[in-house]
Amino acid sequence: MLSPFLSDTADCDSRSIPDSMDPLVELDHVSKSYEDKAAVRDLSLKIEAGSMFGLLGPNGAGKTSTIRMMIGITMPDAGKVSLFGKPFGNDALKRVGYLPEERGLYKKMKVIDQLVFLAELRGLGALEARRRSKQWCERLQIAESMDKRTEELSKGMQQKIQFISTLLHDPELIIMDEPFSGLDPVNAVLLQDTLLELKKSGNAVLFSTHRMDQVEKLCDSICLINHGEAVLAGGMREVKSRYERNRVIIQFEGSDAFLRHAAIEEYKSYAGHAEIKLKHQADAQDLLRTAAATATITKFELVEPSLEEIFIETVGGRSDA
Amino acid sequence: MRDGLFRNTVLIAKREYLERVKSRLFRITTLLVPIGMAGLAFLGQFSGRKMEGVQHMAIVSGDPGLANEVKAALLDGESAPKTVDVYAPATPADRTLLNGEISSHQIGGYLMVERAEGDTQPEGTWVSGSAINFVSQEQMERALSQALIREQLAARGMREPQVQALMKKTKLNTMQVKNGAAVTSDSEKSFLGAYILIIVLYASVLIYGINIARSVVEEKTTRIFEVLLSTTSSDSLMLGKLLGVGAVGLTQMAIWGALLVFYTGTAMAASQGVHGLASLGITKAELGFFGIFFLGGFFLYSALAAALGSSVSGEQEVQQFTFVLISPLVVSVVLLGYVLGNPNSTASVVLSLIPPFTPIIMYMRICTQMPPWWQVWLSVVLLAASVWSMVWLAARIYRVGVLMYGKRATLPEMLRWLRYS
Repeated sequence: MLSPFLSDTADCDSRSIPDSMDPLVELDHVSKSYEDKAAVRDLSLKIEAGSMFGLLGPNGAGKTSTIRMMIGITMPDAGKVSLFGKPFGNDALKRVGYLPEERGLYKKMKVIDQLVFLAELRGLGALEARRRSKQWCERLQIAESMDKRTEELSKGMQQKIQFISTLLHDPELIIMDEPFSGLDPVNAVLLQDTLLELKKSGNAVLFSTHRMDQVEKLCDSICLINHGEAVLAGGMREVKSRYERNRVIIQFEGSDAFLRHAAIEEYKSYAGHAEIKLKHQADAQDLLRTAAATATITKFELVEPSLEEIFIETVGGRSDA
Repeated sequence: MRDGLFRNTVLIAKREYLERVKSRLFRITTLLVPIGMAGLAFLGQFSGRKMEGVQHMAIVSGDPGLANEVKAALLDGESAPKTVDVYAPATPADRTLLNGEISSHQIGGYLMVERAEGDTQPEGTWVSGSAINFVSQEQMERALSQALIREQLAARGMREPQVQALMKKTKLNTMQVKNGAAVTSDSEKSFLGAYILIIVLYASVLIYGINIARSVVEEKTTRIFEVLLSTTSSDSLMLGKLLGVGAVGLTQMAIWGALLVFYTGTAMAASQGVHGLASLGITKAELGFFGIFFLGGFFLYSALAAALGSSVSGEQEVQQFTFVLISPLVVSVVLLGYVLGNPNSTASVVLSLIPPFTPIIMYMRICTQMPPWWQVWLSVVLLAASVWSMVWLAARIYRVGVLMYGKRATLPEMLRWLRYS
């Protein structure tokens, strides 16, 4: 009988340093279906070391299915998944920190024991795991809760512990599924800053979310998927530059009669502030002149569409959510 | 690669073990079970004393010869009274006196033995302050008929020593053929060994097997299992759980075992006729097999529990599955009588080779009549293989559980999902 405890995939030497040209993760025409529903269709993407990658998409688009294939929880039906330049192998997991969307902790276990246990599973020695756990708890301001049982902590605190457990073994690749959901703004910023620091020190971060403001602020490159297919991918600057600078933000005092100008496709108007979308190739300068004729303009800015607008425009009403 | 899996298996086993051994539940059950057992033993002894025959009694008769024969038979029989007074020939004043002694609890009662004119069969009447228990009743009836037989034998000219010899109880010895040689057997002890195995196995499956199922369900409901699966394989998760929870069971058994050995050396045990562990009638070889089949059974049922735990979605469903889990044990118990009587019949051989039945049925066969070695080893190999494959299956189902959120999987569904994972 074949031993059930042997992996059927190739071995992976965790000590080898990836070729600097090799992406940390590469999905090559990957597909996956459940029942008769295609979760991921012919998806290809690469994540480089020292970058922050946003995997975007509406609910049910296939983000989690994609991530699960990256870390070997499921296998693709077709296509190839490479981690650190090699086909997936269990030992590669020690170089990955994964925070699933549906995440939990052992309720009855002490925070510190829990962190040490999870870090040991990812290859750290017990002493080192304890030392780093303490450091991280101090860094994320939960040192006083280290000896408490998880069930005594608030949800936000538990989320910080899960966050720490993902990072303790200093993974080269950090994968986080909706990492900031349910966090208050102060803690969300704390975790965002932490991720940015990790990126600076050379770790690659992939996170999936549908909070576009965070992606816009944090990510170097994105892949927007819908119905399992990549509909938009590339560097953040490059993606945004594909769109016309046809958004105008005006702050004004006086009449808002200029909002009826022929160049305007649609607008949102607040007290003394309007966000305008211009018609294709419309003349923004003409709008400025018209506005200045009836009102005092304190700000006139021509901008690219926000990622959120791009998201809504691309996905449109096709979301499953 | 395998080193990593082994290391993780040990880590998981360690966590399961420490979390449980440190828990209040462990301390409580470790203490409560021996206290409960000691309580039961005490209760048994206490109620046994209550069921003793009468300790101090009197015989009232018009026939002194017959009265003394009855007294002799009473003192000679099992659970004999300590003191028997004889009033023969008795006067009405004697009976009034005895009635008074019954009221003041000086004597348990008196037996009136009378014989009608021309009748050989004497008639006895028991007079006491309470209803008679069956020990006393049997005591009186046996004494009366023995007295009659003694009297009749003596009347036919037989001498006292001959009568004594004839009336002596004969003992039945039993022999058993083990490994081709006849040895003294004790069917009660064979049965006792299997019986202890059943109780120990049953209790540990109920406590620890279900514990594994709970632990699996907990990881599923708290959703920590997706984190775990991203750190190690589901095989090492399942195997680690099994070893960890198994070690907790063994720790507790060891504590209880040590207490039992301690107990068998105490005066209380001696008063119950137990002198050391050996007097329980279990040989070293049988103890060895006990260990093998206990561990095999324990791991098989625990792995089954893990598989069941992996396929359900909540704690409550674990309860429903408990019966499914222990039903092979129940069936083994039902079949035990048959196997004891026919240890080498085809049915017994086949049953003892089916892994869920192996622990109890094969152990029973070993205790009654040693089966051929190939059968014993085949059963052990089959048991080990089924533990292995059950762990493998449980690991697959556990993994598939990630994809099946919040519902119980039907078998065809599970098979389909197994393909996808």
